[in-house]
Amino acid sequence: MASTLRPYLACIRNTLDAAMCLQNFPCQEVERHNKPEVELKSSPELLLNPVLICRNEAEKCLIETSINSLRISLKVKQADELENILTKKFLRFLSMRAEAFQVLRRKPVQGYDISFLITNYHCEEMQKHKLIDFIVQFMEDIDKEISELKMSVNTRGRLVATEFLKQFI
Amino acid sequence: MAVTAVHQLAQCITCHAWSADRSMVALCPNNSEVHIYRLVEDKWEKVHVLQKHDQIISGIDWGARSNKIVTASHDRNSYVWNLERSEWVPTLVILRLNRAALCVQWSPKENKFAVGSGAKTVCICYYEQENNWWVSKLIRKRHDSSVTSVSWHPDNILVASTSTDGKCRIFSTFIKGVDARDPKKESRFGELIVQLDLSSSWTFGVKWSPSGNTLAYVGHNSVIYFVDDVGPSPLAQNVVFRDLPLRDVLFVSEKMVIGVGYDCIPMVFAADERGIWSFIRYLGERKAVSSGSRYGSQFSEAFGKFYGQAKLGVSNDAVETSRTRGVVHENCINSIIPLSRQGTQIRRFSTSGLDGKIVMWDLETEQDLLELLV
Repeated sequence: MASTLRPYLACIRNTLDAAMCLQNFPCQEVERHNKPEVELKSSPELLLNPVLICRNEAEKCLIETSINSLRISLKVKQADELENILTKKFLRFLSMRAEAFQVLRRKPVQGYDISFLITNYHCEEMQKHKLIDFIVQFMEDIDKEISELKMSVNTRGRLVATEFLKQFI
Repeated sequence: MAVTAVHQLAQCITCHAWSADRSMVALCPNNSEVHIYRLVEDKWEKVHVLQKHDQIISGIDWGARSNKIVTASHDRNSYVWNLERSEWVPTLVILRLNRAALCVQWSPKENKFAVGSGAKTVCICYYEQENNWWVSKLIRKRHDSSVTSVSWHPDNILVASTSTDGKCRIFSTFIKGVDARDPKKESRFGELIVQLDLSSSWTFGVKWSPSGNTLAYVGHNSVIYFVDDVGPSPLAQNVVFRDLPLRDVLFVSEKMVIGVGYDCIPMVFAADERGIWSFIRYLGERKAVSSGSRYGSQFSEAFGKFYGQAKLGVSNDAVETSRTRGVVHENCINSIIPLSRQGTQIRRFSTSGLDGKIVMWDLETEQDLLELLV
């Protein structure tokens, strides 16, 4: 593990631990509704200050908290165009299956690659530390996954090129 | 150990209340029903299910004198349930709210009850004999956001409320014809006695001390506030703690408060002879546990710890905080209710939380706390 990844993840873990203090809270604006306030943003007093944690320019994590919901948006490292495409495809693949993940948001927040939306209902059903572990594990794995994908694309490209060029020998 | 009993009665409990003799408990299992359990030979038996609300119930209070249950729900209504020949008969209370009701409490004399709501109002309801009807009077235009908690002063007139606008307010709820006129305390209905603007975040869980001299409430910024001499010149103290925010508090005596919240473990606060409040300790703390390796290899964890201490001069043990600390509750505790009273002291109380457990606590075995209690 790279030396800066550990403090980065530890910082996110601690921030999530403090931020994930959610409760059931009905909508103040619309009768008989109960909506994540972090998405509605209709009552400014129900939102807390967002926290932005950056590892470097390319990798950052935005944590927005409200009284009954929490939104975590991640920007994943993309060193070159190939990584960019791979990240986009891979995270799109995940977002399309958002209902299987429960806490995944179907569309990322603008400027980020993937977003999670955790509401008080998730905190009631699931254990808080497991939820946090899931997010941190996800962040750990996503880099690994992307570099593995990149490696296999490159290997395949090399193989194809070798096979193609064999006919000219 | 201060825990005397743990009962898993539901998946998730939003609120609970006890009958006067503490033989029955009414709880909301995070839906639109109230379940009433009775202790039959050491086993809890579900005896009644109250179904009338159509959204989640946010508050239950069981009147000790009148044996009436009042419930408040996100569906904007409130019901008063009366036991008539082993059946609970509901009476609808028209709160005249257009948003969810969030909390409810009977007044000490049980002739009125207060409901806090998402409509930024507090309703004071009283019974009108001639119409056979609960009438609701609204305190409007005082709160800037939802009212999260209400609490009655022992004098049956004053009501304290906390709100998500970060303020704690105290009102007079004098109603002509219901309350006896007190020449010393001349106040109109809805008059704002004092507004405490101490917290920078949402406030919850307001409670009066047994004598009504001290008021305690919590802020979402992990601070508990104690207010003495409520009136024109109140004396306020803030106690900041390092744990996650609290949700509710309970005065066990004039000098001791138990707070419960997101850390899943009750915290004890006490005042010394000079009246200075401070955090004492946790109740029923888990003994040191090794959490093992949760991420990374043990080697990298050990290395990371060594590296942190060596380079930064701090221990990065703080990384280990994302597990629950409490020994009995596994999720946020959201209510704490007294069980038995000895004079002005409360030795036994119960807590319930999002993990669906009702836990009974007894301070009798905690010798160091009993000394502070008096």
